[in-house]
Order: sequence, then structure tokens, then C-alpha cells
Amino acid sequence: MKKTMGAVLLAAALLIAGCWGGDAGKTNLKHDSTAEKGLEILGANVQFDPNVLMNNGEPIEVEFWVWDAEEIFRGIADSFSEIYPNVSIKVVSQPWQDYWTKLPLALQNGTGPAMFCIHNSQHENLVNYLQPYDIALEDLKADFSGVEGHVIDGQVYYIDYGMMSGSIFYNKDMWAAAGLNDSDIPKTWDEFASVAQKLTRYDDDGRLIQAGFNYNKDVKSMIIGLNYQKGQMMFDEDLQTLAMDNSITAENFQFLIDLYEEQGVGSKDFGISDGESFGQGQSAMVYKWGWYYNQMLSNYPDVQFGVFAVPTPSRDVPVAYDRYNGESTLGISGTADEASQEVAQAFVRYFMSNDEAMKELCLRYSIFPAKKTLVNDEDVKAHPVMKALAPNVERLVWPGPFPGVIETQMQQIFEDVVFNEMSVEETLEKGNALIVEDMQGSDFVTTERQYKYAKEMNTTR
Amino acid sequence: MKKQKLVSFLIHLCLIFMVMMTIAPFVWMLLSSFKTNAEINAIHPTLWPQNFTFDNYLKVQTQFHFMRYFANSLFVTVLITVLVGYTSTLGGFVLEKGRFRGRKLVFGLVLGTMMIPWFVTIIPKYSLMLKIGWIDMYSALVIPAAVSGFGIFMMKQSLTSLPDAMLQAARIDGASEWYVLHRIVFPMSRNAIASIVIFQFLWSWEDYLWPFLVMNSEGKQVLAVGLRLFNGRYSTDYGGLFAATAISIIPVVLIYIIFQKQFIDGLSSSSVKG
Amino acid sequence: MKQKSFPLRRFFTPTGVCLFLLILHYTLFLVLPMLIAFVGSFHDWNPLRGTFSFTGFSHYQRLLTNELFWSSLRNTLVFSFVVIAARMILGLVIASALFSGLTRAKNFFRAAFYMPVVTPLVAVSFVWLWLYNPQFGLVNQILGTQINWLYSKSLALPAVMTMTAWKDYGYAVVLYLAGLYTLPKDCYEAARMDGASSWVQFKKITLPLLKPMSLFIFITSLIAYLQAYIQILVMTNGGPGTSTYLSSYLIYDEAFMKYKFGYASAISFAMFLLIGLLTLLSFRVNQRGENA
Repeated sequence: MKKTMGAVLLAAALLIAGCWGGDAGKTNLKHDSTAEKGLEILGANVQFDPNVLMNNGEPIEVEFWVWDAEEIFRGIADSFSEIYPNVSIKVVSQPWQDYWTKLPLALQNGTGPAMFCIHNSQHENLVNYLQPYDIALEDLKADFSGVEGHVIDGQVYYIDYGMMSGSIFYNKDMWAAAGLNDSDIPKTWDEFASVAQKLTRYDDDGRLIQAGFNYNKDVKSMIIGLNYQKGQMMFDEDLQTLAMDNSITAENFQFLIDLYEEQGVGSKDFGISDGESFGQGQSAMVYKWGWYYNQMLSNYPDVQFGVFAVPTPSRDVPVAYDRYNGESTLGISGTADEASQEVAQAFVRYFMSNDEAMKELCLRYSIFPAKKTLVNDEDVKAHPVMKALAPNVERLVWPGPFPGVIETQMQQIFEDVVFNEMSVEETLEKGNALIVEDMQGSDFVTTERQYKYAKEMNTTR
Repeated sequence: MKKQKLVSFLIHLCLIFMVMMTIAPFVWMLLSSFKTNAEINAIHPTLWPQNFTFDNYLKVQTQFHFMRYFANSLFVTVLITVLVGYTSTLGGFVLEKGRFRGRKLVFGLVLGTMMIPWFVTIIPKYSLMLKIGWIDMYSALVIPAAVSGFGIFMMKQSLTSLPDAMLQAARIDGASEWYVLHRIVFPMSRNAIASIVIFQFLWSWEDYLWPFLVMNSEGKQVLAVGLRLFNGRYSTDYGGLFAATAISIIPVVLIYIIFQKQFIDGLSSSSVKG
Repeated sequence: MKQKSFPLRRFFTPTGVCLFLLILHYTLFLVLPMLIAFVGSFHDWNPLRGTFSFTGFSHYQRLLTNELFWSSLRNTLVFSFVVIAARMILGLVIASALFSGLTRAKNFFRAAFYMPVVTPLVAVSFVWLWLYNPQFGLVNQILGTQINWLYSKSLALPAVMTMTAWKDYGYAVVLYLAGLYTLPKDCYEAARMDGASSWVQFKKITLPLLKPMSLFIFITSLIAYLQAYIQILVMTNGGPGTSTYLSSYLIYDEAFMKYKFGYASAISFAMFLLIGLLTLLSFRVNQRGENA
């Protein structure tokens, strides 16, 4: 009896599962027969002309992969579909870590999306599967700055829509509770350390309950900037070999460790993720890149926070303030079918010529727009992170799209030092050698020596 | 008599302690899923929710396609399990009762396949799926998993106790080999099949990497992968994560509780001869 | 006509179909992939850059001198043997307690112990990730400690091992219990007549008779644990530093994060050899024990 029941249940489950598997959500797409929509042409130089047919007006569905900002991209996709009722764009969001495992493989085998977000740290895994933009180089150069760095054999596969960098985020309530005001915003790292001490709280048992500064999980993005401040280049003169195994990197590592262990402004065991701990109101300051601003707004709307520029070794203007990175526009699959590529090309044009969309994205990630029409935009200028960064923009260094392995390895080196109690110098040497080994066969060439003030920096190890 | 009572009491005490250790993580997670994020992250944590809230579950409802993932997992797992149950019985029968040269060799090879770890073959297997165009299709999950060396091994072991005379008698009555397999071997091996089914069900149910690699569409993804995707995407919303994890576990536990007698009896009555 | 159809009919017997299926299946999904992987391990193989160039033994040479390979291997062996020991000892002790005539509610206990076994590993790994959280996790609450379990050099791997043992010991309980029920009762009668204590009975009768079951549990566990990686993927990502890298996590990392398929294949083959050797060895040890 029981067995029969089991079998029936199983069969029912299978049936349900079957039904579930079956109803693929096909939207009922219309056939588009009017090419002349009487719509305006968008853009100054990079132009988007809506008055054509996509895929000859036949219904078509394409995929668009993103790892974040799904609603912004969906908005752009929806307004694109409004122009072309026969086109449906499916926005698929995958978390960062899985995104880079799946996307290259999916592109390689032709099952990937027609268009997708790119991060330049993954350049080498993707570049073989990209289709160049069919936008004239002159047009791109007329509308965007920094296009030159992306030209490969006279074509571009993606460019930057802006630059992102780091700043210090602080909790305003904690700031006030510690008796601090705006004039206490630290300019140097020494001032920073003493402010951090004031923001640190212990309970009666001597247990840390509020960290003045927390950098757990994100040392990787901080250390390179600290090196630049002291004029230390990342790469050797051959522009390809990583050279992080030097005394300045060791010094900076030690500086970070001392903040915790000597000054007691935080702990490696308190708030294991800096970004979360700040959001939970348990850490008073964190060093974060532009993307974090919106993350805070949407995940922790109750926290009152402010932003200030990274402190420097002394009150003098440093050789550089920090590193920046170019944030990439969309990629077009070179392995998708022609019809999908046609849609993707049009979509990229739409995106690139659409100031509103571009601006929304820049504000979302606190990015200085590369698009010339947006440089002096009031909203961009008023953004708190931009305000903090603006005075230093001239002195930010771009090392180029270095492979992601460098950041992963830097974090591992840091963990080896603080958690596994290994010596800084030895770990750096080993870690550097590992990265160099991993990057063998890579075509990466750094652009850090094109920095305007490169002459002021150490040019040797 | 008194001593026996004391011993019995102690045994029960230890067992209850072990049960508590075993289910505490589940209970803690379930309780936490009814807390607000502020309460979960508090410096001084609580065990029992101070403000009982269902919000986490309501939030998760729209973001975590639980029913879809669960149904997909169930579909794939049941299919694999049924296939493995059949192929294992067939293989066990042929390798134990069959009469042909090289039988031992074949069995040795089948045994050997159990020792091949997933990572040796996964890369080329992935390329193979690409070549034959099975990426993003359930066949990529089901077909390569349809034969199990472990299942054949278990089945062959259990069939040693099935008397040859019984099969012989059927054959003399003119029964074909298929008849013998389907009408005699299958019903006689119910318990052994049940235990293979249980093992296989579990393995397919929690398989992660292979489905992650070969399935692309979110709508076709299985539960284990879906759960990790969800965790990656909403990594700061602990309440939501607890709720999503809880609902990914609860149905499994429920199914287990309903069928636990068959589950454990099947497991106990086969496997290895003592 | 008749002659033509004859071989087909002879083929369509369970034996024919079975052998055909086995050969087809194992060729396609095992032999062929293994050959490709084996050849690939001698090549610089990156599917994304489209490289597949012969490098001879360089991957194997690199592996032998690579610190991370050896430390992952050490971790894997420690992980496997400790978890297997914990699983088998806990399993045997609890099964014996359940088997004892003094215990009631056997079905309830048995069911409770088996529960973690049926829950997906990905899910329980997440649960334990939070249990170990230094601030809000249950483990620190219960122990009254403030330990950052998964970031501690000495405790991270044991923490993951504890989780794995917790998840899997129920499997050993149920199998041992099954074994205990099949033991011949008359042996114990005789022993009791001779005045042997329960402990002596356990040592002299139960343990030796359970040996095939122990071997079965040992080997299936060994094969499973030498390939474990999901716990690491979810809970530590190999950290802090590289102190919880297991061999199969290393392979995952090299293959699907760095796309070094050639090197990953070389590690895979080294691990395959090891698993084969260890399995043979445990059969041998068992046989010698039986002959003695």
C-alpha cells in the first residue's frame, strides 16, 4: 500500500516537474513593419537611428548578461524594445564570481548572450569571443575620452564609459558621537589613524564593539593605491612583469597591520567583510571604490554616511593619490548568430548615444564619465563621491586592465600575513613570483608609465 | 537491574545529546530566518527571535525561484535515479549470472571506474557536451549519469544470494532472459534496488558543479546551483539567505521524514553482506 | 534472410544489451574523456585562448615543485582520514548504542541522525558558514568564545572537517546498524556461556564480523572525501591564504577560474593515481588481516 502511495506521489511530482519545465516564458512578440517611426536620431557623433527595421521586423529574442545594476540595464532594454516591438531583450543577472566562470565558456560554445557587461580584468578571457563595434573610430573619439587605449588593429571591442576610484566612507552618526566635526576630516594617514582611534569602541570586557576603520576583505584594492602614493610603480620597466615584492609594498602592508595591532582601531576578526560591517553600523570607516556608494543606499538605507578623499602620507601634494580603473562599456558576442549581433550592435549604439542611460550608470557607480557631454553635468558634479574625488582626478594612475589574478593573489598574500602569521617580505616575494608565473603568456602591457606625473615616481624596483 | 537502568539512562542521555547536536544547526537557521537583519547582525546575538517576522520569506518568494529550481531538481534526479536503478540491475544480473568469457574482466573494469574522480573527466566531458550540442539541455545531466559503477557493484553483490536454481527453473519453463530479468530478478531485488535508489537520489540531488557548468538558462537550473546563485546575489541580506536556505532544505527533510522507513530499511537490508 | 536477423536477435539479450550499453557509455563518458585529459596534461591547454601546444612533462614537473600542490595534498589527506575516522567511530558507537536492547525509540534516533545526510551539501555548507560567523554565529554563542573560525590558520580546516563529519556520520550509523542486525546470534550465546564480558564480545566478535562493512564504509568514504571541494568553495574559498586548499578545490581553481586546463589535468591524474593506490592498499591491508 505504502509503496503504491510512494509511486503515485512520485509520478505526481514528475508530472508537476514536467509541466514546470515546459512553460518557457515566451513573450508574444509583434511583427514590426514600420521602419519609418518618425523618431529622432540620438547622439552627436556616435549616432543611433531608430528609423530602421531590426531583423527585418521579424520577432527576435536576445540575451543580455549583467552582474549588477539589473534594473538600470533592464530599463534601457525596455525602452529599446519600445522602439522595436519585435525585439525582446532578456536581462540575466549572475553574481560576480560565477559570472566570470560562465560567461567565457558560454561565449566560447556559442550558447552565450548576444551582449553583456565587461570588466577589463577579464579582458584576455573574453577578447577572442568579441565582435568589434561597427561604430567609426572618429565618432567614438569625438564623443568619448580615452578611446585610444582600446584600439586593437584599428577596431574597438569595448571602451570605457568612465573612471572609478576609491575614497573613505564614514558613518556620520558615529562621527558625531565621537565628538568629531567636518574640520576633523583627516588629510594625512597619521591624522586618519587618530580619528580612527576616536571612533573605536570597546565594551567593559575589553571586547571590540565598534571598529574605527575596517579593511578586511578589501586590502587588495587599497594596497596598490598606497604604493602609488609613495611613488611605487606596480610593474617592471618591461611593462609586463609585476614588481610588488619591494620594500614600499611591505611598508604599506605593515602600515595596515599596525592600524589594527598597534593602534587597535579594528581587528582582522571583527566584521570579516568590511563593506557589510560598515553597512551594519559596526565599523565607522571603510576604504571603498565608487560602486559601494549605491550598494549602501540600496542595502542599508538607514545608515547616514559621508565620503572623503583618501588621506596621503603628508600634507604635500603626493605624486599620486590613488589608482583608478576604466569601467567598460558592453561587449558584443562574436559567436552569436548574425541576427542577434545586429540587435546587439544597435543596442550598443543606443546605449552609447543615450546620455540619460549613460548618466544613470555613472551615478550608480560613482564614475567620472568618459562621455564629453556629461563631464560638466550638474548631477555628476553634485554626487558626494565625485565631489570627494574631483580635486585629485589629475593625479590618479591607471595601470591598465591587469588580469584579475593580481587582486586575488594580493588578498591571499595579505591573509597569509595576518592570519597565517607569515613574514611580509617572504610572502610578498613568493606571491609576486606566483602571479608572474600565472601571467606567463599574457599579452597585458601596463599603461601606468603614461601617467602624467610618472617622472616623479620611482621607475625602478 | 538498577545498574541496567542507569546504563540505559546514560545511553539515552548521550543519544539525545547527539540528536541535539545534529539538529541544532537546522533549528538555529530556521529561528534566524524569522529575525530582522538588525537582530541577526547584532553584536549581542539572540537565539529566539525578538520580533518575529515573516518578511524574509515574503521577500524571497519573488527573488528565489524556489518552486522552479525544486521541480527541475526533482525531475532530473528522479529521471537519473530510475535509469540508474534499471541499468544497475541489468548490469548486476549480467555480470553475476551471465555466462560469457571476460565476465570477471568487465566487472573489474566497472569496479575500477568507481575510483575515477570527477575532476579527471569533467573538462573533456564538458567539451564533449559542447561538440554534441547538449549544453543547456537536461540530456547533458541525465545521460552521462545513467550508468553507475557503484550501482552495478551493489547489485552484483546482492544477486550472489539469489539461487541459480530458481532462474534455471524459469529458463527450463521456456522463459526468455528478459523475462527472467524483469519478472524474477527485479522483484527479488527490491531492497537492493531501493538502497541504490537512495544513494543515487542523494548524489544527483546535491550535485553542483556539473549542472552549474552545463546549464545556462536560469529557468532550467537545479536547486543546489540556484541556492548558490541566490547567495551570491543577495550576499548582504542574511535574513533572506536564511529563509532561502531554509526553504531549500525543508522539502527535502519532509520527503525524508515521510519516506524514512523505506529509506532506511532499503539501506539496511542490502549493501554489504556481514 | 533468417541468417541475417539471427545475430541481431542474439545480440538483443540482456547480456548483449548490457555489454553494448557499458561499452558505449564508458567509452563516451569515461575512456575518451580520460584519454583527452591525459593528452591534455602534456599540453598548454587554455580553451578560451584556443591554445593547445605540447609542453612535455612540464606540468608534472611544475606540480612536483609546487608548494600549493603539496600543501593541498597534505590537507586532503588530513581532511579525508580524520573525517573518515570520526565518521566510522561515531557511526559504530552510536549504532551499537542503538542496537543495544536497552535503547528505546530507535526509529526516532535513527531518523534524526540520518537527517543531515539527506540535505544538500551546498545548503548545509551555507548554514555552517553562518554558524561559524565570529559575531553572530551559534558556535561562538554556545562556547562563549570570539573565534574567527574560518579565518584561523589552525582552526579553519578542522572547522570544515567538523561540518563534514556532522553531515555524514549518520550514513555510517545506518550502515553499521544494518551490519549489526545481520550478525549471527549464536556466536554471542556461546560467548555469554563462556562468561565473556560485553566489551570482550564487542572486541572479539562484533568488530571482526563487521569488518566487510567497515571496509565498505572506509573505501566509499575515501573515494568521496579525496574529491571533496564544495565545502571549501562555499565556506573558505581555500583561505585564509591558501591554508584550506584541498586538491580538488585546487583543480577547480586552476581549471575554471584560471582556465589552465592542461595543468589542472595533470593534477587530476596525480590525484587519480593516489586514489587508486590508496584503494588497492586498503584492500591489501584488509586481506592480510583476514589471512593472519
